Amino acid sequence: MEEGGKIRVLIAKPGLDGHERGARIIAYGLRDAGFEVIYTGLRQTPQEIARAAVEEDADVVGLSILSGAHLSLTQKVLDRLKDANAGDIMVIVGGVIPDADVEPLEKMGVAGVFTAGTPITAVAEFIKTEIAKKSK
Amino acid sequence: MSDIEKIKKEKARWEEEELTPRLKKFNLEKPVTSFCTPVDLPEHDFLNKVGFPGEYPFTAGNASVEFWKANSKLAALFGFRPDWGGTRGVGKYGGFGTAEDYRDYLIRMHSMGRTGGPNIAFDLATQCGYDSDSEYAEGEIGKVGVAIDTFRDLAVIYEPYTGDKEIDKQPSNFTINAPCVVILAMYYVLAKKRGVDPAKLHGTPQNDILKEFIARGTYIYPPGPSLRLFKDSLVFMRRNMPKFNVNSIGGYHMREAGATRVQDLAFSMANAAAYLKAGIEAGLDINDFAQMFTFNAFGGSMEIYHEIAFHRASRRIYSRLLKETFGATNPKAMIIRQPVSAHIGCSSTTLQRPINNWVRAAVGGVAAGMTGYIPAAFPPWDEPMGLGHSQEATQMQFDATRILMYETGLTDVQDPWAGSYFMESLTDQTEAEALAEMAKIEAMGGAVAAIDSGYMQRAVAKSAYEKQKRIESQEDLVVGVNCFTGPLEQDVRVNTAVEPTYDPVRMATAEERQVAKLKALKRERDNRTVASLLNTLKDHAKDENKNLMPDICEAVENDCTLQEICDVMREVFGVYQQVKL
Repeated sequence: MEEGGKIRVLIAKPGLDGHERGARIIAYGLRDAGFEVIYTGLRQTPQEIARAAVEEDADVVGLSILSGAHLSLTQKVLDRLKDANAGDIMVIVGGVIPDADVEPLEKMGVAGVFTAGTPITAVAEFIKTEIAKKSK
Repeated sequence: MSDIEKIKKEKARWEEEELTPRLKKFNLEKPVTSFCTPVDLPEHDFLNKVGFPGEYPFTAGNASVEFWKANSKLAALFGFRPDWGGTRGVGKYGGFGTAEDYRDYLIRMHSMGRTGGPNIAFDLATQCGYDSDSEYAEGEIGKVGVAIDTFRDLAVIYEPYTGDKEIDKQPSNFTINAPCVVILAMYYVLAKKRGVDPAKLHGTPQNDILKEFIARGTYIYPPGPSLRLFKDSLVFMRRNMPKFNVNSIGGYHMREAGATRVQDLAFSMANAAAYLKAGIEAGLDINDFAQMFTFNAFGGSMEIYHEIAFHRASRRIYSRLLKETFGATNPKAMIIRQPVSAHIGCSSTTLQRPINNWVRAAVGGVAAGMTGYIPAAFPPWDEPMGLGHSQEATQMQFDATRILMYETGLTDVQDPWAGSYFMESLTDQTEAEALAEMAKIEAMGGAVAAIDSGYMQRAVAKSAYEKQKRIESQEDLVVGVNCFTGPLEQDVRVNTAVEPTYDPVRMATAEERQVAKLKALKRERDNRTVASLLNTLKDHAKDENKNLMPDICEAVENDCTLQEICDVMREVFGVYQQVKL
C-alpha cells in the first residue's frame, strides 16, 4: 500500500463454482468503505489468483468459496503466493465454512474467516486493523 | 352515490376519526400498517383478471383439482414418500464420484425401497464442459455431482435401469445447462443402443442456459451461441423425443443470487420468451412445444403476501405472454408447470441460531399451500451450515410439510386469496412492475441482448448489495443476525446426526479412478474416427442453419469426450467473458 493510499483488495473465486453473490457483495461493500477493490470473476485457478494479486499489487486477497473445497483451494492459493514471493499478502476467506474448518484455515496462514451473516463493516474493520499492525 | 364513493367517504371519515388520532398517539408520521378496501381495487374485472382455477389466465391456479390433492389422503394412509420417487417420477436429486459410484448408490437405494428414475447432479467440471483430466477440473471431480466424461460413463449409471425399470418406463432429470446438448445426445444414443424407441423417453433437462449468465455461473459460450444450442436441442427433441420436456426455467437461482422479486419474475419471463421465440423461429408449433417447457421454481423470500401475489401474477403474465404475444391457442401450453412454488428460498435461512430456519421454512410452506402447490417446508433448517442435511432436519422438513397438508386445512381452498382487495391489488401491482421491466428488456432487444450488455447481471448484483446494506443498517431485520443478538439470547443448538450421504472413501478416490478410466478410453477408442467426427462438428457449428445434435450424437457414440465436443464449439463460438460489475 502506498503511504496514505487506499488498501488494495483482490476478491477471487477459485475453482469452478459459480455462486458469486457473496463475492459481489463484498467487492461492492469494500469499495464503498474506501478500499481499492479488484474482482477477478469466476473460475480462477490458484495460479491465476496469485499472479493477479502480484500484478495488482494487492495488500489483501479475499477468497470466496462455497463449494466445500475451501481447505485444498486455500492451501493452493497460499502456496502459489509463496512461489511468487508474495507470501506476505494477507489472505482472508469467506463463504460456507463449517466451524471445524476455521482452525485448520488459520493454521495454514489465513488471517480471518468470515461466514454468512458477517457485516461488511466488520470485514472492513478487520482488514484495516490487520494492515495497520503489519505496517508498524 | 355509488358504493365506491360511499366507501371513499367513509374511509376519509375513518382516517380522520380513528387513524389520525392513533398515529398522533404513537408519534408516527405515517401508518406502519395498511388496510385495503374496494377503493384499492376499483372496477376489478374478476373474470378477466382471476377467472376459475384451471382456466385462463390461470391466476387462481393451473388446475381445478391438482393431482396431488386428489391423492393426498391415500398418500398419507400408505406412507407414500414423494421424496423417494414414485413410479411416475424421478428419485431424489443426487450424484457423486464416478459413474460406477453413483450407480452402486442407486442400486443400494433401490434395495431400500426407493424408486424413481435418476435425478442426476453433475460435478462442476462436467457442468462447465471440462473432462476429468483438465487442469480446471482438479479437485472438483465427483464433488457436487457425478463426473461424466463420455457416453460410457452415462451408460454405467443406467446399468440398473432395465426390465420394469427400463428407461422408457421411468423419467430422468438432468441438472445441466451449457453442455446439455451432449448429455441429451448421450441419453438418446443409450436408448438407440438398448433398442428403446427414443419417442418413448421422458424426463426433464434443466437446459436453461440464459439464467446461468445472470446467476449460478456455469456457462461456456456467449449468450447468442448458447441460445442456438438450446434451439438445436429443442428441435431435435421435438422430432425424436417428443415426450421429453425441453427445459426447466429457473427464477430461483436469480433470486438466490440477489434478484428482487420483480427482477426474478421479469428476467425469467424474458428468458422464457427468448426460448419460445427460438422454437417459433425454428418452425415449431407453439401449442405443441410450449407444453414441454417446465419451470424450476420462482421466488423465495420471507414476505409471504408478496410471494403469493408474485405467483398469482406470474401465472397470469405467462399465460398472457403465450396467448397474446405468441398466439398459443391450447390452454395446456399456457401454464407454468413447476413442482414447487412460493417458498422462502435458501437465502432466507441464517447460520446464526440455525434451528430458527425451521420456522422460516414452515412459513414458506404456508405460502406455497396458498398458491396451490404442495406446502413444502423447504429447505431443512441446517441448510446454511454446509454440512449436508442431517437426518433430523430432513425428517422435520417432511413432517412440517405433512402437518400443513393434513392437519391445518390449508390446502382445502383453491386460491384462497381470490377477490381479496389487498391480494388482488398487490397481484396487479406485481404484474405491472414486472411487465414494465419486461418491456425494458424487450426494448433492449430481448434477454440475450440484455445479458450481452451486462444489464441483468449488474441489476442482480446491485440488488444483492442493496439488500445487504439494508440488513447492515437495520432497515431490514433478521432475527439472530442483526437484532435480538444480545447476551440474554440463547444460541439454541441440537445434536444432529449427519451421516455422510455418499461413501467418503469413494469420494476421496473418485478423481484418480475417473482420470485413469478416461486415459484408458482415449487409448482404446478409434482416434481417427474421433478426429474426423470432431472436424465435421466444427464445420457444422460454423453454419447456423445446421442442427448440431445429430453430429453430437455420432460423436458421443464413438467415444468423443464431453470436453472434446465442447472444445470444438469453444473454438467456433468463443468463450463468454464475464462483464465487469
